[in-house]
Amino acid sequence: MEYAKVTMMRSGSYSNSYQAETQKSVNLDGRLVDLREVMKTYQGTAGTFTALKGVDLQVESGAFVSIIGKSGSGKSTLINVITGIDRPTSGEVIVDEVRVHALNEEQIAIWRGRSIGVIFQFFQLLPTLTAVENILLAMDYGAEYPAAERPERAMHLLELVGMADRAHRLPNSLSGGQQQCVAIARALANDPVLLTADEPTGNLDSKSAEMVFHLFENLARAGKTILMVTHDNELAARAQRTIRLADGKIVDEFTNR
Amino acid sequence: MLKPRWYKVINDLFGNKTRTLLIVLSMAVGLFAIGIILSARTILSEGLASSFAAIQPSSGTVRTLEPFDEDFLQAVRSMPEVQEADARRNISARVEVAPGEWKNITLFVIADYNDIRVNKVTSESGAWPPPEREILIERAALPVLGSNVGDVVRIKMPSDTQREMRIAGLAYDPAQLPAQFDSTPYGYISFKTLEWLGEPYGFNELQVIATHPEDKVWAQHVVNLVKDRAERSGYTIPLSMTAEPGQLPMDDILQGLLLLMGSLGILSLFLSVFLVINTVSALLAQQKRQIAVMKAIGGGSLQILGMYLVMVISYGILALLIAIPLGTLGARALSQMLATMFNFNLGTMEIPPQTMLTQIVIGLVLPVLASLFPFLVNLRISAAEAMSAYTIGKGRFGRNWIDRLLSGPNLWFTRKLSIRPLLLSIRNTFRSKGRLALTLITLTLASATFVSVFNVRSSLSSTVDDMIEWFNFDIMLTFDRSYRADKIQQEALNVPGITQTDVWIQLPARMVRSDGSESGMMYMFAPRIGDDALIRSPAISEGRWLIPEDDNAVVVPSALLQDEPELGLGKEIVLKIYGKEQSFRIVGTFVGSSFAAMIFADYDYLTQATNRVGEADALLVTTRAHDAASVEAESKALEEHFERMGLRVSMISTLPRERADAEAIFDAIVALLLVMAILLALVGGLGLMGTMSINVLERTREIGVLRAIGAPNRGVAQVFILEGITIGLLSWCMGSLLAIPMTQGLNAALGGATMGTPLTYSYSLPGLWLWLVVVLLLSAVASFIPARNASRLTVREVLAYE
Repeated sequence: MEYAKVTMMRSGSYSNSYQAETQKSVNLDGRLVDLREVMKTYQGTAGTFTALKGVDLQVESGAFVSIIGKSGSGKSTLINVITGIDRPTSGEVIVDEVRVHALNEEQIAIWRGRSIGVIFQFFQLLPTLTAVENILLAMDYGAEYPAAERPERAMHLLELVGMADRAHRLPNSLSGGQQQCVAIARALANDPVLLTADEPTGNLDSKSAEMVFHLFENLARAGKTILMVTHDNELAARAQRTIRLADGKIVDEFTNR
Repeated sequence: MLKPRWYKVINDLFGNKTRTLLIVLSMAVGLFAIGIILSARTILSEGLASSFAAIQPSSGTVRTLEPFDEDFLQAVRSMPEVQEADARRNISARVEVAPGEWKNITLFVIADYNDIRVNKVTSESGAWPPPEREILIERAALPVLGSNVGDVVRIKMPSDTQREMRIAGLAYDPAQLPAQFDSTPYGYISFKTLEWLGEPYGFNELQVIATHPEDKVWAQHVVNLVKDRAERSGYTIPLSMTAEPGQLPMDDILQGLLLLMGSLGILSLFLSVFLVINTVSALLAQQKRQIAVMKAIGGGSLQILGMYLVMVISYGILALLIAIPLGTLGARALSQMLATMFNFNLGTMEIPPQTMLTQIVIGLVLPVLASLFPFLVNLRISAAEAMSAYTIGKGRFGRNWIDRLLSGPNLWFTRKLSIRPLLLSIRNTFRSKGRLALTLITLTLASATFVSVFNVRSSLSSTVDDMIEWFNFDIMLTFDRSYRADKIQQEALNVPGITQTDVWIQLPARMVRSDGSESGMMYMFAPRIGDDALIRSPAISEGRWLIPEDDNAVVVPSALLQDEPELGLGKEIVLKIYGKEQSFRIVGTFVGSSFAAMIFADYDYLTQATNRVGEADALLVTTRAHDAASVEAESKALEEHFERMGLRVSMISTLPRERADAEAIFDAIVALLLVMAILLALVGGLGLMGTMSINVLERTREIGVLRAIGAPNRGVAQVFILEGITIGLLSWCMGSLLAIPMTQGLNAALGGATMGTPLTYSYSLPGLWLWLVVVLLLSAVASFIPARNASRLTVREVLAYE
């Protein structure tokens, strides 16, 4: 199917300059994400706040996992730790056999660009680049595909999310739902092993939210590993597996189907 | 007890030290530029006036061929039209500056150095008055000689007598053209020393002050009366000239410089205004959210406005605290440098209060005015809009033709190129168009000034080319007296390396007007006319150059026709030559000033009319090689040859040296202009840095996104550096165009002040390319610091921003 085709288009070893810095050093026996005793403490003027308290989490490759919990439960921190956006105070974060917690900021940025597709609540498309250029920019930074192949792949991704006819529009001329679709296409730009989404439907009306969530479902069916933070229990239940966080700990975990 | 909102002001001022430093520095550089230019201008103007007044300047000079004594001086002093008069001996001699290398030197002999009544010379250091058999050197002339006080120099008199003299001290003689400008040093000796040098006693130069020295027409009349008196007493007058009232020799050039400095002062004022507006706008843009918060919790518009005005005024005060003392120091240093260059003493070094007042007004009032508009704009934005986290970054893009031109289908050809970061930078450039406009105005003015300075340099060079284009010779020898033309030409050709010779005669003349009044001294130059002549036509503005068939034809300076309305092309001009009136016909005018006017006539005709057939005052030669070293070697060989033959050479000029001397004057002016241009470039660079810093702050969230999609440090920094470079390149393009009219203005001002005519326009491509390199470096450096800060931000920091 089309989704599978897009994810299979990766040509593999176009650029491996970063590999020396992000050596795959841990064998996870098929698991894509492995969090071991992860703690995250913030130091503030008001005192210390522990957002994650010794979290252990394993995510299999190809899984669609939703993370739910109340505000301040640590959901966003958990996903940020996995993507390298935040660093654990202690514990280990291993993604795709890479010890993320051991990388420096520069290495993390390069690794994330190639291995992780990050989707934000507020879409965060760059306003001076058109839809297709937003995707191409991620490809330019990732350098996973030869330059000549990038425009074609970017258009494939836009077709995948139903935005091909708006490829050359600037973000401010797109609706919120359309922007989020483009943001998903951008997250897929370098065919990452993991997609993370923090409240991807949180800023959308119900119709757009459904459209966007449907995209995630299709990607999951095509074999993409997805971690999604959401407030919406109904949407969470449509993932294969749901993790509930409270006070920085995983308090519940269940398979939906 | 302060109200809490004032704590916010204090915390904003001192909490973010980098921002405060940037804003204060941006303002301070502009204020410094204004201070230094305005203050230096005043210090120099006052210094010039006081130096001039202190020397008892002459209204005019009358030189005699035969020496005169105190009796004649007393006779002139007793003339009712003469307020004061004094006399000295003026001798053109040669000085050995290196073994076998001789240079022209003017020697002055004054009877009583402690009682100089006109054009006073004073002691600068060392002995005073000049001891017997020793010499004093004018202070500005020492570098030209390459000697020091205490050194011994060898002087060769026109009679070929050579003597060694110790430099016993330095004299200060501001009435003379500073030696470095014509490369001719001045020496001062006593009459006893003159006797030792084998010259007879006597004066040959009268300097007079008219009873109304401020009236140039009267002064000229008085000079003519003195000249007539001298002629009646039997003296031959080879030269008489009237000085411009109230002016030192280099006054024209210095006034031109001061005019330019004034223009640059106004320009830097504009730049500062833009810089202040830009900086304050950026500050308020940054504070937009906080303003909204204060509004949301009930802050009144006036209360909030008051807070920001106090903050802005505080920045102004801090900037003034830096700019005023540094501007004062800079103005004093610059004034001293120029006073040394133009050889006059500065009177007061006091900074004029109006300069400080201007700085204070610009530093305090302007930021307040500048902050009102952006503040009112921010005030209109609702609290909800200001605090919205929905939008990414700030600045609108995609709403006008520039944005559309730079995006979407128009750039189809870029899709297959991996240049998205570049596109991002270029388009980001146009997001905050108001800020871009202000930054561009600042940088464009700086660009235009920089390029214009190089254009002026190039124009000056072209002007020198034009001036000497009609000189087809390499060396000119002027003799102590007239010689037979064929003899000196034949002798010159006997020197190896000399390929062609020519001669001219030169004589003083005065125009006689129809009402019987006479003009000041003019110089008639009569070169040979013909295809093999070494003098070609100067730049003719009207009519034509002389032809061999001409008889009594003359070519006069264009400015003379403006000053003497009864003259015109094709009309007659009556000239008094050797006391005899002769009529000539004006066949052409050339580009030149009317001061000490040059009039060209045909050699054959004039030598016949003055009974000087076959004579020559000057010898012109061409050499086989035309490079400076070869021409200098030939001039040395010629001088030695003529010396052996007993022919007395009083002066030798070579074309490369004349050109170098002319360019040396201009280079000094250009160097000063360049300092100003660099200052403006600094203002522009700081403006750009301020803009880029604010852009980074405003786009912090976007930086996080770039990081999240895999942009490395270099990638993030590159986006901002390329944006800065784009702005720099835009300013370069616009500045290079603006430089065209700016150069015309500068050429008109500088040429008008120094030569009475605009400089020959020339656009300097090397200057344009040099500025391209400078602006690229400046832009890269100005955006590098904000870009480096941006690249250091972590994704979490920026996504949590605000």
